[in-house]
Amino acid sequence: MNNSKDSTIKQNNGPRHWRSLGHKADTPEFRAFVEKEFPSGVDLIDDPVSRRNFMKIMSASFALAGLGVTGCRRPEHKILPFSKMPENYVHGAPQYFATSMPTRQSAVPLVVKSYDGRPIKIEGNNEFPGGNGGTDQYAQASVLSLYDPDRGLNFKLAEDGKLNVIAKGKVLEQLSGLAHGKTHVLMEQSSSPSRARLVADLKGKGVRFYEYEPIDFSVHADAASIAFGSSVKPIYKFEKAKAILSLDCDFLATEEAAFQNIRDFSAGRRVKDDHTQNPSEVMNRLYAVEGLLSLTGTNSDHRLRIPTGSIIRVAALFLKEALEVSNTQTDGFVDELKDFVGDLNEDFPNSHALEKEGKSDITKWIKECVSDLVRLSSEGKKTLVVAGYRQPKEVHLAAMAMNSLLGNVGETLLLQPIEPNGNGSIEDLASNFKKDDNLVVLGGDPAYNAPADIDWSGIIEKSNKFIRHGFYNVDGTSKKATAYIPAAHYLESWGDARTNDGVLVPVQPLIAPLFGGLTELEVLARISGADEVDPYKITRATFEGIAGEGEAKWSKFLHDGFLADSASETLIEEFDGEAAMAEWRKNAKKVKVPSRGNLEVTFYRDHSVDDGRWGNNGWLLETPNPVTRIAWDNVLLVSLKTAKDLLGEADSKKLLDFEKVDGKDFDPKNMDLPGRFGFHSESGRFYQKVFKLKVGDREIEGPIWLLPGMADDVVGVALGYGRGVGRVGGAKGPLNERTGGGGFSAFEARTTDTQHAASEAVLSDTGSKYEVACTQEQGVMDGRPVVREANADDFDSHKDFVKHFDLDSVHHTTHLVKGDDRGYPWEKDQELKLVKASDEDLPASQYRNNFGDDKVNGPKLMDVERQQWGMVIDLTTCVGCNACVVACQSENNIPIVGKHQVALGREMSWISIHRYFSGDEHNPQINYQGVSCQHCEDAPCETVCPVNATVHDEEGLNLMAYNRCVGTRYCSNNCPYKVRRFNYYDYNRRPMGVEDGERKPGRFFNDDNNLNNSPLHPSNKSSNGEWELIRWYKDPSRGSVPGLDDGKKESGEFDPEWDLIKLSKNPDVTVRMRGVMEKCTYCVQRIQSAKIDQKTKIKDSVSKLDKTAKIAALDVPDGTIIPACQQACPADGVSFGDVSDPSSEVYRLKRQNRNYSVLGFLDTRPRTTYLAKLRNPNTSMPDYFDIPNSVTEYNDKAHADIFDSKKDKTNGKEAAH
Amino acid sequence: MPGQIIFGLLLVGGVVTAGVSYYLTPKYTRVGYQPTQPVPFSHAVHVNQLGLDCRYCHDGVEKSWYSNVPAADTCINCHSGVLPNDPKLKPVRESYKNPDKPIEWVQIHKLPDYAYFNHSVHVNRGVSCVECHGRVDLMEEVSHAKHFSMTFCLDCHRNPNDRLRPLDKITDLAYDRSKDKANKNRDFVKEWHIKTSENCSACHR
Repeated sequence: MNNSKDSTIKQNNGPRHWRSLGHKADTPEFRAFVEKEFPSGVDLIDDPVSRRNFMKIMSASFALAGLGVTGCRRPEHKILPFSKMPENYVHGAPQYFATSMPTRQSAVPLVVKSYDGRPIKIEGNNEFPGGNGGTDQYAQASVLSLYDPDRGLNFKLAEDGKLNVIAKGKVLEQLSGLAHGKTHVLMEQSSSPSRARLVADLKGKGVRFYEYEPIDFSVHADAASIAFGSSVKPIYKFEKAKAILSLDCDFLATEEAAFQNIRDFSAGRRVKDDHTQNPSEVMNRLYAVEGLLSLTGTNSDHRLRIPTGSIIRVAALFLKEALEVSNTQTDGFVDELKDFVGDLNEDFPNSHALEKEGKSDITKWIKECVSDLVRLSSEGKKTLVVAGYRQPKEVHLAAMAMNSLLGNVGETLLLQPIEPNGNGSIEDLASNFKKDDNLVVLGGDPAYNAPADIDWSGIIEKSNKFIRHGFYNVDGTSKKATAYIPAAHYLESWGDARTNDGVLVPVQPLIAPLFGGLTELEVLARISGADEVDPYKITRATFEGIAGEGEAKWSKFLHDGFLADSASETLIEEFDGEAAMAEWRKNAKKVKVPSRGNLEVTFYRDHSVDDGRWGNNGWLLETPNPVTRIAWDNVLLVSLKTAKDLLGEADSKKLLDFEKVDGKDFDPKNMDLPGRFGFHSESGRFYQKVFKLKVGDREIEGPIWLLPGMADDVVGVALGYGRGVGRVGGAKGPLNERTGGGGFSAFEARTTDTQHAASEAVLSDTGSKYEVACTQEQGVMDGRPVVREANADDFDSHKDFVKHFDLDSVHHTTHLVKGDDRGYPWEKDQELKLVKASDEDLPASQYRNNFGDDKVNGPKLMDVERQQWGMVIDLTTCVGCNACVVACQSENNIPIVGKHQVALGREMSWISIHRYFSGDEHNPQINYQGVSCQHCEDAPCETVCPVNATVHDEEGLNLMAYNRCVGTRYCSNNCPYKVRRFNYYDYNRRPMGVEDGERKPGRFFNDDNNLNNSPLHPSNKSSNGEWELIRWYKDPSRGSVPGLDDGKKESGEFDPEWDLIKLSKNPDVTVRMRGVMEKCTYCVQRIQSAKIDQKTKIKDSVSKLDKTAKIAALDVPDGTIIPACQQACPADGVSFGDVSDPSSEVYRLKRQNRNYSVLGFLDTRPRTTYLAKLRNPNTSMPDYFDIPNSVTEYNDKAHADIFDSKKDKTNGKEAAH
Repeated sequence: MPGQIIFGLLLVGGVVTAGVSYYLTPKYTRVGYQPTQPVPFSHAVHVNQLGLDCRYCHDGVEKSWYSNVPAADTCINCHSGVLPNDPKLKPVRESYKNPDKPIEWVQIHKLPDYAYFNHSVHVNRGVSCVECHGRVDLMEEVSHAKHFSMTFCLDCHRNPNDRLRPLDKITDLAYDRSKDKANKNRDFVKEWHIKTSENCSACHR
């Protein structure tokens, strides 16, 4: 079909397919700036100048979109090549750049994948010394923030109290025109030496600087400096510690550099080879004392529940015990401590789990813990005592004292000299600020998260000029500014930082600022009126001051992503007991013990939104909290006893507002029903009562949530929600009037004195309800051993314990034929069989052999000559941090669905980290298990697909052909692991925060949003009120939130939601539409990419080799293919590779004693297997359990006797199975 | 009467089915698609007459999945001196001078977005350009030579040997293996251990 029209005639060819934006309009200027969702044939102009004109061009061209007629003509797609080919650029091959994500006082070293000149995926820098390439969930999700449609797009100046778009130059004039002596700068914390240099320079010119972080980790350094006499900061080396005592220190999740801590902790916990190693000898042990149920607490071997404010008394007792045991002379300090401690057992009953009936004994707990630490220390092993950022300095001093007594200083506790922080605090700002002074706020959002007793609006009113440099211009702080400067995202910025251990790392941009934003360095340089305002040159100058000049050094720095040996030497200092004691005597305060009418509130850093900075990041909001499994909201967390006490025994049932279950009232103690831990709601939806929390004279409201394991009479409140910014997480207003998620702001109740814990709080019922989206209703395993665990001390005598669980245990499957009938072809060599634990292999399969030859044994689904992919997840090292969940979402274009759909159980993330409680509902044990598609060899899902959309490939993967799927959902029905996700709506194209043509942040995919109608239903309107069908007809390539032709926009602004979100998609993975099933693919795009690379490398060179050598040459070497989850995991919990290759890691791991398949008795032969969890408890502790609680539950329900625990009771006879 | 109606319906149904099966398959809709390009670039002149190798312009074909259309500077390599003022080459010169004005080539070969094809692995493992793109070296204006339906790919994946050739002949589009005594009967699949995937994961991700 020839297109006979002359192509030089510009013609409007009407509606085009959305894949090519080049059809939007016909202006040549516009065509230069097209972006395609999938770069199937486009070469983009790489000129940075052009990119800065992005907005101008987009605005000009959208206005020209119009109606047209194509008839039946084949739609034209254009290929737009470069003018001059960029160097080292091959279109289609991703480029990787080293950079880092600056955090408060450190940085996460990263390598970011860039496609088409834009960053797509964040990975850790595994060449970083001491790192393993793991990242945290914040870093993984940060790439989505780059494409946040609510970010500031323009420079603005205020007129009549309202910000208006203005030319950049006008705002920059304001910066350089500031009178230094009258200027106060409030900024976030940073480890950047470049910024420190500019700040010092400006201080010399009279500018005053203040730092404010709502979640401040400085107490570690402050305490260490007192304790050791010089200005130092502590670096904790968890890897070397054989026992760790955590005093409210959630080092695995909410402390600085948690990902590094996870790596180190897991390295100390991992049992590399359970054939040769004794777990009791290699594993570390974790003791935790805390008021909240934190991630660290859930991973601990022993846990003490003490309200946050009272942990200082526990610390005092620890210190007293340690001093006494070590016979340290303290001139009566020990007696002072004894008085300070008081009677802990009376004040905190039931503070730890008990195997048998009795009372908890805190004194014994502490005594045994100290004696364990001291014993290890005497054996020359290292331990570590850490206190958390929520604890006052005195607790840290006690921890440092203990570390010193145990000989940890210089080993697990390193001291690194730092510059004392010369910047003021936000309280200093409030007192120093005079009328008509100028205020510059760099980053953060003090209007939202400043302590509630700071009069922020008062400061604003006094100010003359208020220049705001921030990511959003719609947040509380920016709204009141006189000038607004859009901030550059770190992926667009030049800068530097130091990691937690002091190594210098670069912040290297992967894309020029999309909206012309400025970095912090540039703003500071402009304020000082310096000649050099280019952040690249500033950063380079700092670097050359540290490392010396020369292109080679600088290039290496940028290439490696770090400067080797740039951390200052750590010091060995003596603990200054006198100074510490003086500090203690001066400041140590006892807090009244919380009780029913005097609750204690603990404010904590949220696992998803941090202090609010990620409040508009859909990936993080939708990733459920690992412990509560709640997404999109924060809640008021209380323990079971608190809940019951609040309204008395009878009314406590009403508090939780359950429907009757099986006709009976829900009673956690006495009912043996599903959801025993957690909530059982018959509808599966949780409408929680909203309670008013009164702290002092401030009030906040939030839904109540029961969390087994919280300390009694403590209310846990996550910070960071309710910020009200953006279309994703910005829902505002009273809770009973909204369904959009986003939570409530706890900052309103938080004052300078009560940054972490507040006492004398009161909870009262408001009478309203709020739905909470919880992704895991079921807290228990109901005796089904999906997570199998053992105590390390039982392992040696029960090495094959995993084989004794469930229906596929050796006790149950005597009726199945054993032997090599369905043995794997690569195991025919007897020498390779390493596992002889019980002399019984998995029984032969009922299913046909998928390695058959198509004739005799069955269809040849899998090919012996190819590599066979499989995965092993180690439950001992997995801490449940959820970094893998966000990484998977980033890599595989998984959409977010919004709170309402999550509440219906339709969350899309391919990996779920299930969290199970077992044991006592006040002091439970917790297990995590990450589950994604198990890629079963005999997959139940494959046989039931009516259109053959899910098939098995020759290498063992269970595939999903999205274009073939018709949405029967039979596969998901049949999947025993429930790992398949269905696109109930077109999640990728539905607008966020729009309902009925109106902007409503957080509301999308609600069931009252007419979504059950087709997109063409008259009630479906885009954000400018236009009927969807008209909008589609005009331009099918646009989403429902159109651009410039939206009449409601301010001039100069446009809504880039559609275009920006597209940029975040990975072009290697199909973006799924409505009606399509999806699931984990073992990152098939990475597998294929590695195979292609290998084949491209080999070409035709194997002609002369023999068959085996040929096969070997084309095999991808072990460790080349790293799925996104494995790459992001800081704990190294995931291993992926070729299960048929005897030299691969997964082959070795699958032959570990602890290896088992979940639901193995179904004989699905999953390629993903797990290594059972090992706990390492101390037998002398009062909360020691002979066997883990989940195994006790299994034994009870299955009438089994794993670990022979019942042997004694049956007079030596083996208990009946 | 009812019989006639039924007969009539069957006839119409049959004709429609036959028509759709013929006219609406890629073999009819795609083969021969030959859109007019902004610059009348002739492969016949440049490749056949002048002897340029495919990879002189499409240099990314061995390194990535995408076989790139060259940047304007590749054309200017010669056309700064050859036909420097020819009006037909105006878009090329403009594009070279001004990065905001790329040459708007009309894309001819396009697979659906859910199908992922990788050029480098094919080109490096013995599949010549001509197998899928036809005799581009004889085309004055590039046209879509093959039908590119899934069966087109699968036919080769199921039986690749006839479509493979020694690597030094990849861009020799005129090469006919059946006339090359040395390579006529070679079993490349066995020699090079060609393992084509016939499963969905090969192309659908």
